[in-house]
Amino acid sequence: MSALDIIGVRKRYGTVDTLKGIDLSLDSGEFLVLLGPSGCGKSTLLNIIAGLAEPTGGDVRIDDRSVVGVHPKDRDIAMVFQSYALYPNMSVERNIGFGLEMRKVPAAERAEAVKTAAKILQIENLLERRPSELSGGQRQRVAIGRALVRNPQVFLFDEPLSNLDAKLRMEMRTELKRLHQMLGTTVVYVTHDQIEAMTLATRIAVMRNGQIEQLATPAEIYERPTTLYVAGFVGSPSMNMLDAHIADGVARIDSSDVVIPLPYETSAKGRPDQKLVLGIRPESLRLASDGEAPAFEANVEVVELTGPELVISATVGQQRITASLSPKSDIQAGTRRRFALDADALHIFDKETEKRL
Amino acid sequence: MERRSLTATIFIHAFALLLAAVIVAPVIWLFVMSISSTADLTAKPLHWWPETVDLSRYTRLLTAVANTEGAAFVAALFNSLRVAGMATIAALLVAIPSAWAVSRTPTVGWSLYAVIATYMLPPVALAVPLYMALAALGLLNTVYGLALVYLTILAPFTTWLLKSGFDSIPREIESAAMMDGARLDQILRLITLPLAAPVMATAALFAFLLAWDEFFYALLFTSDLRAKTLTVAIADLAGGRVSDYGLIATAGVLAALPPVLIGLFMQRALISGLTQGGVKG
Repeated sequence: MSALDIIGVRKRYGTVDTLKGIDLSLDSGEFLVLLGPSGCGKSTLLNIIAGLAEPTGGDVRIDDRSVVGVHPKDRDIAMVFQSYALYPNMSVERNIGFGLEMRKVPAAERAEAVKTAAKILQIENLLERRPSELSGGQRQRVAIGRALVRNPQVFLFDEPLSNLDAKLRMEMRTELKRLHQMLGTTVVYVTHDQIEAMTLATRIAVMRNGQIEQLATPAEIYERPTTLYVAGFVGSPSMNMLDAHIADGVARIDSSDVVIPLPYETSAKGRPDQKLVLGIRPESLRLASDGEAPAFEANVEVVELTGPELVISATVGQQRITASLSPKSDIQAGTRRRFALDADALHIFDKETEKRL
Repeated sequence: MERRSLTATIFIHAFALLLAAVIVAPVIWLFVMSISSTADLTAKPLHWWPETVDLSRYTRLLTAVANTEGAAFVAALFNSLRVAGMATIAALLVAIPSAWAVSRTPTVGWSLYAVIATYMLPPVALAVPLYMALAALGLLNTVYGLALVYLTILAPFTTWLLKSGFDSIPREIESAAMMDGARLDQILRLITLPLAAPVMATAALFAFLLAWDEFFYALLFTSDLRAKTLTVAIADLAGGRVSDYGLIATAGVLAALPPVLIGLFMQRALISGLTQGGVKG
């Protein structure tokens, strides 16, 4: 059963089209991440779901009920804001229970619900404090508790971890994942952090310029990005993009004599001299053993050990390429080495349409 | 600054003292004048400190015997309290909703600037229309009429001050309360106004001071004990053929007391109100 449907939602501010027709449907219990750079419209979409903004066109349905024009409090949603938006003049307990208080839930029942939420989030000992007496991570927990206690149909998160430092962010990320697994709630989560998106989501909607570029599971987004944009946005270090063209049924990398064989269906469909972009994930490259193919030679320029991996910067012809190897690899800067890749690790895009071939 | 040199430290303290002296000196002189005898005040060379402390003027001004300077002064004191109090409360009642509206709806921000623009007019330009309006309403020489005039001065000023106070309260907090199911009046009462309390206190105090110190309109629109305010009463003391400078000084000291007491009372709220926005979190 779908918990949330967004049908042809458009939003226009003055002459600017912030959202240009968004369609998506979310099953109950799904964790959808809206991923994109700032200004792509992801926060606007979240605000439209929340009811803090109204769409210029289209429909938003929660639990199969149109909520366009419905007041946020009547939408059966709860939202966690980037700035936490706690009430500074109230204790943590009242902060969490405020939604129930406003809905005239009896005090005893309210206290019980607050206690349960606090227990889940491990903030039982903080209930008497004021938000100003809490650390960033604790405030975040209170903000989540405030959403949790209302037991809404859909949870909305607006970049909830971006105000935390790196270590805490990782902890809270795991915590959110644990919560979602435990409670099985439906979540819409906005972020520009691809790692958050990959780890948390059951599905990711990569957004760009007010449109959804690709809507798929994290694995699919990573393994089969449908456009150059998605390919470049997800993955760290980001995917190598080599300019190439079709020559005699194979891809020849521009400004070099390196050729990479193309899958039959690509070369059959391709025009001669068609311009391509070859996407190769740094982690799918490895040092080639003798006679291994497909492989190509590259000039190794920089070798960086990050701990779990060895990041190589090299050049193929005039083009830069990054490879992420095992830290035990025997490789030095200033040498010329052969790198191999699996044929199915090659992502081939048309340079003009930026679409996957 | 742990590593400041001795000269720099002396320099800084010397200038702090100088600044304090410049600010406090007139007030101290006012007080000294109020307790000096006329002989001391007119002596040549001037006696900087009176030979005998003379508190008679305070009793003279704070008496309730009819037809004395004291009766006029006490009546004026109460008139001032009523006018400034009424005008301040009315100004806050007008300013809180309008400041909130302007702060949360940037598209109507121009209206506040339009109101502030009228503030640029010199009071004398408005004196005649205001006089005629008050006359038509039968409010000349009443505390209500004067409070109404002051409201027109205070409301734009307090609205403007409160707007910047509301601006510093994140809208997300109100959005969160809205999603939590709070009605508009609940959001204001439970969240926004408590958070804006320091700036409201600041606005109230400044509004009260402005009304308390106003002279021009009070002089024009009041004529006797029924409505005359302190500033006018003090001017009357100086208006006779023989001016008792000590008496004027005493009236000045007494006139300064209520705002100072209110300021002390609201000190904590005031300081956090004045520094709000400068410091985060």
